[in-house]
Order: sequence, then C-alpha cells, then structure tokens
Amino acid sequence: MAARVAVDRALCLGSGMCLVYAPGTFEHDDQAKAVVREPAGDPADVVETAVEACPTGALSLLPEQDGA
Amino acid sequence: MTETQVLDRERIRTLFDLRSSYNARAGGDFTADPYPAWRRLRESGPVHEGTVHELTGYPGTALFQGLPEPDRPHYSAFSHAALDQAYRNPEVFASSPEAVDTTTVSGVTNSMLSMGGDQHRRYRALVQPSFVPAKARWWITNWIEETVHSLIDGFAGEGRAELNVDFCAAIPVLTITGGFGIPVGQALDMREALNRPMEIVEMLRPVVAARREAPQDDLISVLVEAELKDEDGTTHRLSDAEIYSFALLLLFAGSGTTWKQMGITLTALLQRPELLAQIKDDRSKLRPAIEEALRWMPTDPMFSRFVTRDVELEGTRLPEGSVLHLCLGAANRDPARWDRPDEYDITRPMRASFAFGGGPHICLGMHVARAEISTGIGALLDRLPNLRLDPDAEPPRYIGMYERGVTEIPVVFG
Repeated sequence: MAARVAVDRALCLGSGMCLVYAPGTFEHDDQAKAVVREPAGDPADVVETAVEACPTGALSLLPEQDGA
Repeated sequence: MTETQVLDRERIRTLFDLRSSYNARAGGDFTADPYPAWRRLRESGPVHEGTVHELTGYPGTALFQGLPEPDRPHYSAFSHAALDQAYRNPEVFASSPEAVDTTTVSGVTNSMLSMGGDQHRRYRALVQPSFVPAKARWWITNWIEETVHSLIDGFAGEGRAELNVDFCAAIPVLTITGGFGIPVGQALDMREALNRPMEIVEMLRPVVAARREAPQDDLISVLVEAELKDEDGTTHRLSDAEIYSFALLLLFAGSGTTWKQMGITLTALLQRPELLAQIKDDRSKLRPAIEEALRWMPTDPMFSRFVTRDVELEGTRLPEGSVLHLCLGAANRDPARWDRPDEYDITRPMRASFAFGGGPHICLGMHVARAEISTGIGALLDRLPNLRLDPDAEPPRYIGMYERGVTEIPVVFG
C-alpha cells in the first residue's frame, strides 16, 4: 500500500535526501523544493525511510484514509 | 597532450598523500583502527567529556572544525540517538560560536558553513538548485567524465597503477575547479593554497569579473546571477566577497573529502574480489556499495557544534559555550540502528547514515560526491579488465583521525 506523505515547503531545504531513498515518489521543483510526483511510486516502507532521512523534518506521513 | 597530463604527479603526491606533512594537522599520522575505541566509548555512554581524538587515544593535537578551542569545555557524542538530536536542533547546537559577517573574506568561517537559521537558509537556497540529484548529470558530463577518462588514459597501457593518488585524488579538485571555470593547469595551485585563502581569491577574481560580463554554463555564473532575498524582502546580487567565501567553502569541503571516500570505497571492494566481480557484472550493486562504504567508513568521522545554552543531551549536562563533537563514525555503527554494524554488507536495507552529516547543514555536495565516486569506479570497471590489488605491493591501510582515507591503492589489471 502506498504511503501518503506531506512536504512542509518552509522546512524543506532541498537536500535531496528523499530523492536518494524514494526516487519513485519525490522530485524537486525549480526552487529545489521536494514535491510528491507519484504517491504510489515506492513501497510504503521505502517512503518511511525517506521521511526519516529528511534532515530538516520537512516530510511527514499522513494517516491512511479508508477508501482513499 | 590531454588536459590532465599537465598535472604534476609528484605534486599531487605531496598534496594528497595522507601521511604528508600537508595533511598531518588533521591527524594524518594516526594509523590505528579507531572503531574498537569508539565502540567502547559508545557502549559506556552516549556522551563523554573530552574531544574525540583524546578519548580515542590519539596523542597529538589534531585540528578540525570545532578544534582546538582551548578555552571551551569539550564533549563528544557517540550514539546515533545523541547525534540525531544534536543535528536536528541547530538553535542549541550551532555550527558557529558567533554570527557570520558576509562583508569580508577570511576563509570558510564566514561562509554558510558557519551561518545559522534564516541566514543559512537564504544563502543555501541560492546554490541548492545546482547541487540537487537532477543536476548530477550536469556535473558528470561537463567535468567528471572527462577528468576520469583522461586520468585512466594516463595508466591504462601500463598494466598497473596506484589508484588513490593517481586517480581518486585528482577527480574532485578538477570537478570543482572545472565548475569554477578555472583552467586545469591552475587546479593544483588552488588546492595547495587551501590554507592561504587570499591566494585563491586572487585566482578567482578574474573569473568572477569575466562571468559578471558574460555568464557561462558554470557555477561562478550561477553565483554572479543569483539573487539573494534579504530579511526585509529586498533582493540583491551576491558581492564578490560572498562569492569568494562560497567558492572557498566548496573547495575546502569538496576537494579532500570525495577523493578519500572514493579511495575507501575502492579499497573495500578490491579487498573483496568476489563482491567486486558481482558489481562489475551488475552495476545496480555499485550504488549500495557506495552507500554502505559511506556508513561503514566515512572519511570525516567527526564534526562539531557549539552549545548555545545549558542543555542536557542523553543524560549529560552540557554548559553554554561548550563544544560538542559529533562522532558520526561511531554513530554510523550504532547497533541500535544497524545489525552487525562493523560488517561491510552492501545487501543491508538502505537507510540514512550521518556520512554527510545531518540537520540543515547536511552536505551540499553529497550528490556530486556520489556522482564522482560512481563515475570513477564505474569507469575503472569498464576499462581495466581483471582489476585487482597488486599482490606484490604493500596492501592499502585505512589511516587518519579526522580525515580518514587509505595509504595507497596499488593495483594490476589485464
């Protein structure tokens, strides 16, 4: 199941750590801010690894929604 | 004559041999394995009083970021949890004891390495777009590939080579100076002048002036065109002083670290011939091999933070004004986070280590470093059949205290 993840743009530094661990999910916009390109781009545990890896805590997992 | 043939091999040796006097000040003469000591320290407590080199048993006066600072109390942290807390709390664990003055050039201390909070965020945002993973291809095709292949051209016909100094060492410095628009012939002058920053500024001055007139597809052009948004919302172009400070930081942070990390990775693989053969046949394994080497043996195993107020970290009271040394070499082998942490195992699940630091100052150049290492090792595997350690030469040894790397990597091939 895909994890749902939110990016806090004020906290995002553009380090690219999330792209290292979950390149199927995240990309950078032209300001080097992380954006979710494909919510189902990686398995949930991979996305969790990326969320934990963010050096500024800019990523957070959102609770699963039934039927979402 | 290819461009890199203008590089003087003996001069590269002097500049890049970890055992040379040039590199001794960061503990280049430390030859023991520090990991058993770091393990004992981590097991006896996450935070200890003293510096990492003192606690490790190094008798000298090694210098690095956060050292020597003789008038401050010193503490060192060794567990993953302690480092994670410190890296993620830059207000309490600051990268500099004082505010950064951007109007002067004195070296890397007034670059964004030492900035905090919003100032750091604004300066880093200017250059971050040039260092994101998507830009790795720009670095590879413009500078890395050409350097890597012309270095290999220099020894491919000889059947043997010393890869640490003759190969790994030159790649990062030529990548960075190439990105600056500095001619190859001046690249080593720049590296040699690392401890005399005003000489580097003089080499950069004509390039910055030329790029202000006519920007090109390089990093100095990015800097002269960048617009910095001030706290009050007004924008201004970077001053020459700001550009010089930034260029010094890149040269300082990027030219020594990546070559040593590439040498460490190559050595780990050459010492495991079966693993190297697997990677040669399946290049998807090169990336986990590089990531695991970063965790297992990071070239810079310690960075420091300045404690801005009295605080307790993992049970130890740290007074305001003290220096906290973050021993990421120890944290990267914390069994609370990694099973069998002393093993170099490229099949372990990938997760973030502190090889590139952490928090808002996490290494800006990490994706360029990865690109250099993978391009370099990949090209060696492509071009040198049956690559192996020279059985008749002294095997590589890992040495160094705060700048770790290998002695030499003598190889034969063909």
